Amino acid sequence: MTSRAANIKAQIGDLPSHARVVVVDVSDVPVMAAELTDDKIQVLWEEPIQRVITELQNAHAAGCTRMVVVTPLIGMSGAAGYSAQSAVAEAARVVVKSAARQWGKEGIVVNAVALESRAYGFDELVAGPVSIAPRAMTRDVSAKGIVQWLCSDAAGDVTGQTFIVDGGSWM
Amino acid sequence: MDVTTHTGTRLQNRVAIVTGAGQGVGEGIARRLAEEGATVILAARRAETGEPVAEAIRAAGGIAECIVTDVAKGESVQHCVDETVRRHGRLDIVVHNAFSGAVPHLLHEASMEKNWKLMSKTGVWACFFCARSAYPHLQESSRRSPGEGGGRLILITSPSGVEGSANIALYSPAKAAERAIAKSLAREWGPQGITVNCIAPVAGSPALAIAFERNPDLKDAIEARTPLGRVGDITKDIGSVALFLASDDSSYVTGQTIVCDGGSFLGL
Repeated sequence: MTSRAANIKAQIGDLPSHARVVVVDVSDVPVMAAELTDDKIQVLWEEPIQRVITELQNAHAAGCTRMVVVTPLIGMSGAAGYSAQSAVAEAARVVVKSAARQWGKEGIVVNAVALESRAYGFDELVAGPVSIAPRAMTRDVSAKGIVQWLCSDAAGDVTGQTFIVDGGSWM
Repeated sequence: MDVTTHTGTRLQNRVAIVTGAGQGVGEGIARRLAEEGATVILAARRAETGEPVAEAIRAAGGIAECIVTDVAKGESVQHCVDETVRRHGRLDIVVHNAFSGAVPHLLHEASMEKNWKLMSKTGVWACFFCARSAYPHLQESSRRSPGEGGGRLILITSPSGVEGSANIALYSPAKAAERAIAKSLAREWGPQGITVNCIAPVAGSPALAIAFERNPDLKDAIEARTPLGRVGDITKDIGSVALFLASDDSSYVTGQTIVCDGGSFLGL
């Protein structure tokens, strides 16, 4: 796991035993599409998305009933130089929806948190702006609060959703 | 095989590659682009499916050739692009439609790994293969006609790539990945005048025909939930949207997904 993904996970803190958080772990190094060799596609796309799928499967096998996938917002916004990483991010966000639909009858709820680019260390000058308007908040933001809530009893009726934590950039 | 008629000139002198063009949505798109004058290369995995479509297009007055291509292999996609440019001197439009491995499965069953690899390779890896091989030619296409009909990359995704799927759980993330790639490449290639967009169709493909055979009630169910009350036609309904995205008419549209499903999904 990269230090940034580990940091995101550490910020979230301890969770109930029936809950599991999966932090999408992708490289922050931009690679233009014309330079995506097979080896780079393997490292930047295939391995990270397989890790997400495996972690969800493991959570299911372990009997978890609350699952949250924290994924970079660039899956929704797109990002120049990060096409492979954005593919992972969006695939992770949508596998959440499939899992929510498929496992809902087992009493399992699965949701996604889309976290802003700076938490993942993407180069915003390369990636381009997330939205036309500037970020609404000036302070740093964390996924901790929303993940803890999604893993609580209070969120038991919420599944297949994406919660954006980006200080009010993407609206 | 139905014979389409060569009727228009909106894509005259343009050269297009359509992957998975031997049947279904890819065939419909190839036919529609050819109707408007494009030289269409049908990149099909098997000549038995690609050649008859090419012949039908030629019989209707269009220009079409089949180049056998396995989109899961980068060298095969590169060969298709190289051969297209060698034969026709340019490449303006790439439509990546091919996709394999979408069969019903549970997310947590071990046997789905093989299917995932197939879906990932033919869907997502193939997007990257098409992008990296076609990029210099799409860039050149945009240089020829700045501000108008330049290079076009069109990716065929699915409504399932937006809303997830209980039945084909891993089909959805593969299709979602294609939407994200379109957005990222739209940003990356916009300065070069290349547009990148997606179409999310529901159409009468062979895959859907098989599903109807297995479940005779499915057609009625789809039509009942579709505001327009029918399943899309691969050429008239889906091919025409691809034509729009391939033509000068869409020169200021990039990074978008057009859901072409008769109004079933209204969530974008």
